Amino acid sequence: MGLFERVQRQVIARGLIPKVISLLPLISTLCIVLGIVIIGILPFEGQYRNTYISENALMPSQAYSYFRESEWNIVRGYRSQIVELRNASAVERNAIMSEWLQQFGTKTDIYQNHETGDTLYGVFHAPRGDGTESMVLAIPWFNADGEFNVNGAALGVALARYFSRWPVWSKNIIVVFTENPKAALRSWVEAYHTSLDLTGGSIEAAIVLDFAGEGDLFDYMEIYYDGLNGELPNLDMVNIGVFTAEHEGMKVSLHGTPFDKIKEDTLFSRLKILMSSIKNSALSGVKKTYGNEAFSGWRIQSVTLRARGQNGPFDVTSFGRVPEAMFRSINNLLEKFHQSFFFYLMLAPRHFVSISSYLPSTVAISIGFALASLNSYFNNPYYTLPFFSLYTLLSILFWFVSLVVTFIVSNIFIYSPFPTILLAVNIIICLYPAILKGNAFMKDLLSYRLRSTAFLFMSLLLTSLLMVNFPLAFGMGLLSFPMTQVKTITSDTPTISRTRVKNSVLLLVSNPFIATWLFSLLCDNEFSGLDVFERLVSASRELGCWTWLVLCVGWWTPWLLVAISALDTVKLSNDSEDFKKQQ
Amino acid sequence: MRSGPIATICCFILNVVLFAQATELNVTSSSINDHDTNPSLELLVDTDDKTNSITSNDIEDVRVDDINERENFNVITINDDIQYPFNEKLLIRPLPNNNLLASFAFEMESETFIPGHDESRSDQYRHFTVFPKAIEAMLGSTSTRQLHLRFTRGFWDAESWGRLPHDGFKSGGSGVELWAIIEAGSQKEAFDQWKTLANSLSGLFCASINFIESSRTTYPVKSFQPKSTEEGLPIFGGDETKNNKLYLLRASLANEPICTENLTPLLKLLPTRGKSGISSLLDGHKVFDSMWHSLSIDVTTHCDFNTQTCKYDMDAEVDMVIHVPYTLARNEHPIPRPTPNSELRCDLTKPYDIYQCFPLPESNSLSFEVSEIFGKPIRGSNLISNNPSKVCVDIGDNHENNSWEALLKVNGSHFGTDDNCFDLENKDDYDIYISSSNTNEIGRHSEKEEDVPLYVSRSLTGYGQDRGGLRTVFTNPTNDTIRAVYFESLPWFMRLYLSTMKLESDAAGAGLDLHDVITSVHYVTAIDHKRPTHLEYTIEIPAGTSLAITCQFDKALLQFAEYPPDANHGFEIESAVVTILKPWSYQIRTSTLLLSLSTPDFSMPYNVIIITSTVLGLIYGSLYNLLVKKLVTIEEADEIASQVGLKSLITRLKKKFI
Repeated sequence: MGLFERVQRQVIARGLIPKVISLLPLISTLCIVLGIVIIGILPFEGQYRNTYISENALMPSQAYSYFRESEWNIVRGYRSQIVELRNASAVERNAIMSEWLQQFGTKTDIYQNHETGDTLYGVFHAPRGDGTESMVLAIPWFNADGEFNVNGAALGVALARYFSRWPVWSKNIIVVFTENPKAALRSWVEAYHTSLDLTGGSIEAAIVLDFAGEGDLFDYMEIYYDGLNGELPNLDMVNIGVFTAEHEGMKVSLHGTPFDKIKEDTLFSRLKILMSSIKNSALSGVKKTYGNEAFSGWRIQSVTLRARGQNGPFDVTSFGRVPEAMFRSINNLLEKFHQSFFFYLMLAPRHFVSISSYLPSTVAISIGFALASLNSYFNNPYYTLPFFSLYTLLSILFWFVSLVVTFIVSNIFIYSPFPTILLAVNIIICLYPAILKGNAFMKDLLSYRLRSTAFLFMSLLLTSLLMVNFPLAFGMGLLSFPMTQVKTITSDTPTISRTRVKNSVLLLVSNPFIATWLFSLLCDNEFSGLDVFERLVSASRELGCWTWLVLCVGWWTPWLLVAISALDTVKLSNDSEDFKKQQ
Repeated sequence: MRSGPIATICCFILNVVLFAQATELNVTSSSINDHDTNPSLELLVDTDDKTNSITSNDIEDVRVDDINERENFNVITINDDIQYPFNEKLLIRPLPNNNLLASFAFEMESETFIPGHDESRSDQYRHFTVFPKAIEAMLGSTSTRQLHLRFTRGFWDAESWGRLPHDGFKSGGSGVELWAIIEAGSQKEAFDQWKTLANSLSGLFCASINFIESSRTTYPVKSFQPKSTEEGLPIFGGDETKNNKLYLLRASLANEPICTENLTPLLKLLPTRGKSGISSLLDGHKVFDSMWHSLSIDVTTHCDFNTQTCKYDMDAEVDMVIHVPYTLARNEHPIPRPTPNSELRCDLTKPYDIYQCFPLPESNSLSFEVSEIFGKPIRGSNLISNNPSKVCVDIGDNHENNSWEALLKVNGSHFGTDDNCFDLENKDDYDIYISSSNTNEIGRHSEKEEDVPLYVSRSLTGYGQDRGGLRTVFTNPTNDTIRAVYFESLPWFMRLYLSTMKLESDAAGAGLDLHDVITSVHYVTAIDHKRPTHLEYTIEIPAGTSLAITCQFDKALLQFAEYPPDANHGFEIESAVVTILKPWSYQIRTSTLLLSLSTPDFSMPYNVIIITSTVLGLIYGSLYNLLVKKLVTIEEADEIASQVGLKSLITRLKKKFI
C-alpha cells in the first residue's frame, strides 16, 4: 500500500485530478487517435503474422489430388449438358441434376420454398463413416452477380460423382444446388436444422463453388470468408483454401484485390486489404453475398471459392482439385475445428493479425466514449451537485424512451422501408437546434446529463460489441465519434450561432443513417443511391444479420440523446431556487 | 409415467439342485460310457487305457487345430463320422446397383449340462466341443440366459437395398450394442452381473464395452423381448428362498469404431477359427472395406424339461454389403484413380469426343469370383460338423431368362446346381463364380420379402449450444397401417421435454393428432450422471403416410471430468430402435447423431485461480493493515517518516559528521 499511498499523495499535491478533468476532451480525442494508430501500425513488418496450419490433422495438400485426367472429360461432358439448362426452369434444372446425382447412389431431395426458390440437395453416405457429420459442397445456380454458374454446377456434379468412388470419407458429403447464394441458400441451411427429412448429420464445413461462364480457363481464385454478424470461419479453414490453391499454383485474392496487385506485398497493399477486410466484415450480408455467409451461425466453417478471369493458365479441373483437397483435408479432422483463430483480420492471403493485436484499438475508442461521458458529467458548473438528482433521472428516462422508439422504428422499417423519410427526419433533427434557436426547452444541466448518459451507453455498447463483431464496433465508434464534440448552448455561450452551426454539422456527420449512407457511397463502389438501406433491411430479414438493429438501437439511441442535448437551454444557476434545492 | 423399469420375464421354472451326489456320479460314469461308444472322442486319449483315464482336463477345449498337433501321439486317426453340432452357411445375395450382400451364418450348440451343477468341484467336469468355453464360462458366472451382441457400422440403404438381412434382428445401430437377459434376485444384483458380463465381453472382443455403466443401461419394456415362439427361458434359482427373476438389460455405445480387433475374437470363437470352411473368407481388410457390415452374436439357453438338462445355442453372423465394381477395381489399384480414357463409358447420345464425355451409369454386367471379393478362396469344408459347409447364391431359380449365373469352382472345374446352393464336402479350395448380364434384374423369391415396411430417419434440429430438438421421421410406404415400438435411450445430458412432443404430418396424414398415432408411452426420466432417459412408445403409422415427431431438449453442462480427455468431437447419441409388430415383424435402427455440447476452455480454472488469489490477497492485505497498524494523520506520518528509514539515517549521519 505504500507505493499507492505515495502516488496518491503526489497526485493530490500536484492537483492532477482537476487538471486531468479539464483535459478530458483532449484525452478522449487522443483515445480515438490511439485507436486508429493501433490499427494503422498493423500492416508494418513485425506487427502481423504469417498464417500457418494450426490443426495438425488437416495436412492440406499432403495427398495427391486425383481429380484430373479423364475427370476432365467428365466435367466437360456434364458442362455440355448444363449449358443447355440455362433457360430451363428451376424445377427442370433440379429434376435433371437430381437424376444425374442418383446415378451414382446419392440420395436426393428437393427443399421447396416458394419465396426463395427450390433447392436440390443430395446426401452421399460415407461407407466407412459413422454418418454423424457431413461436409457441404454448395453450388448456386446463379452466382452473386446473377451469372449462370455453369462451370460451378458441372464441377459440383462431377466432384460428387468422383467423391462417391472414394472409400476414404469419414464424413457424409452433401451437395446443394440453390437458386442463389443469398436467401435461397440461407433458407436451405435453416431448413436443414429444422425441418428437412433427408439429413446427413451435423455439418462441419461448407465450400461454395462459384465459376460462372462456359470457358475452360481462369486466371486466379478469390476466397470469400466473411460470415454474418462478425462471425468468421476458423482461420484454418481459410488457410487450407489458400494452401491448396497455391499448391495448385494459383494466385489467391482476398477482398477483391485485382490480379495485377496480388503479388504485391507492401505496406500499402497490406493496409488496403486490412481496411477492406474490416469494411467487408462490418458490411457482411449487406454487401453482395457469395454464399459462405449463409452457413454462419451453426458452427459451420465455410468459404466461397470463386474463379476469376478467363484467359489464365488454369483449367476448370484444376479449380475442382481445390475443393477436393480441402474436403480430404477436412475429412482428416477427428475433432471440430477448434485450433487456430476464430477472430482475425487478413492482410494478405498468408498474413493475418489475431484478435489480441487489433482488439485494443476498439477498446481505446470505447474508453474515448467513456471519458467523453465523464467530461460531460464533470466539466460543467454543476459537478458538485449530487449524482442522484431529477436531471439524472430525466436523462435515464429519455434514454429509455429513445431506446424503445428506435427499437420500434427499426422493426417497422424492416417491413416498410422508406429510406428517404428516414434520412429527411434525421436531417430535420440535426437542424432543429438551429431552427428553434432562442427557445429554451430545458435546463443546461439536463443537457450535460443527457450527453453523459448517451456516451456511457455508447461506450458500454461498443465494449460488448467489440468482442463479437469487431469491425462493426470499430466502424461505429469511429463514425459516431464527432457527436462527442457537441456543446451545450446556453444564453451566455460565446459565439452562440457558430456553436449552433457546429453542433448541427457534428450531428449530421455522426448520424447513423447519414454516416452509413455517406460511407457506403464514398468507400464502396458496390452501393449507389439509397440502396444501402434496402440491403441492410434485406440482410436483416433474409439472412438474420443484426447490423441494422445495432445501427438503430445501439447508435441512433445515443445520437438522439445528443441531438436533444443540443437544443437551447437555460442556465440552472439563474434559477436560484432550483439550484439551492439541488444543493 | 415413472413406472419401474423392471422387465420380468417369467417363463417356466426348472427345479434345480435336486440331484443327489449319487446321481451326479451316475451321470459322470454314463458320459464316460458314452465316450466309449463314440469313436470321435478316442482321439483325446493318448494312453493305452482309455476307459479310466478320462479327466476333465483332457476333454476340455479340443478343436480341429489340436487334432493336427496331436498326430505325433499315439492317437487314432480322425473318423469321418465325427458329428458336432455346428452348422455354417454363406448366403450371397445380389442387391441393386451392383452391390452384394454376403451373410455368413454360424450355428453351434454346447453340450448339455445340468443347471445348478457345481462345476468348481474337482470331481466334476464340463465337456466342450464346438461351443466356445469362454462364452459358456461367462454366461455361467453371470447367470445370463440370453446374450445378444452387435457390432455394426455403415449405412444400410433401405430405399435401394430393401430389407435388412434377418429382418433387422441380427444387426445393431452404428457402434456396439449389447442386451442380455440375466437371472437375479433383484435388479441391483442383475446390474452387478451385467457389469461383470460387459467387462468380460470387453476383454473378449477388444471393445470398450466396459464403458457400459448405469448411465447407459436401460431396462426395455416393449422392445428386445425374447421371441414368444421359444419355449421360454429357464430360471435356475427359482425356488422359494431365492425368488429369482429374469431381467432384460440393454446398452449401446455409439462412438465405438468397429474394426479387425473385433472380428478376430469372433473368428476365434468358431471351431474352425477362420482357417477352414466359409469363415476362411473373413479377412478384416475386406470385411471393413464394405459399404455396411454387421457382426452379431446371439446366445440362448434351451432346457429340456424332461431330462432336466440345458444347453446353449449360439448364432454368430457376419453380414456385409460389398460394392462389387469398387472392390474389383481396388484389387488392381488400391487408390481409385481416374478411369483411363480408353475405359470411359460415355453416353453416345450426348456430345462425345476426345474433349468431353457425359458419363453413363455403372455397367450392369458383372462377372467375378468370390475369391476376388474376399481375397482368397474357401479353404475346404469345416469337416467337423453334422452338415457340410453350405454356400447359397440367392439369384432366383435357374431358367432360360435368368440373367444371373452362379457356379461352384473346384480344382478348375465349374459345377452348377438347380437351387444355386452348394455343399462343400472336402478339403479342396472352393470358389464361386457369379456372373450377370443385367445386374438390375435380381431374381427375388417373392416381392413381399423385399418390401421395407417403414423408413425411419432421425436428425438433430436447433441452433446454439443450450438447447436443441430431436426430429424423427417415419415414412410408411406400404398399404397397411404399421404398428411399431419406438425405443430411445438418450444420455442424461440431453434433458428431453416430453411435453414439447409434437406431430408434423404430410398431406396424407393431415388432421392426425399426436394421440392418434402414439398409443402408449413408457417413459423413465433421466437421473443426472446415473440413468439415461428411456423412452418407448407404440406408434401407428397409417398407410402411405409420412409423420415427423419432434421433441425439444436442453443441453446440460457436464462436470469437467466427464468430458472425454481426447478430441472435442461431440457426443454420439445412440440409434433409436424401431421394432415393427404389425403387419410383420421387422426391426430398424436410425443413424447415430452427434450432439455438440458447450465445451469449456480447460485452461480457465487456472485463470480463475489466479484472479481469485489476487483478489483474496488484496482483501487480506488491506484488512491486515487495518487491524495491525496504527491510524495516524498525514502530518504525524510525515514526522515519523522523517525519523526512520534510510533518508533520515543519512540526514542524521550528515548532521553528525558535517
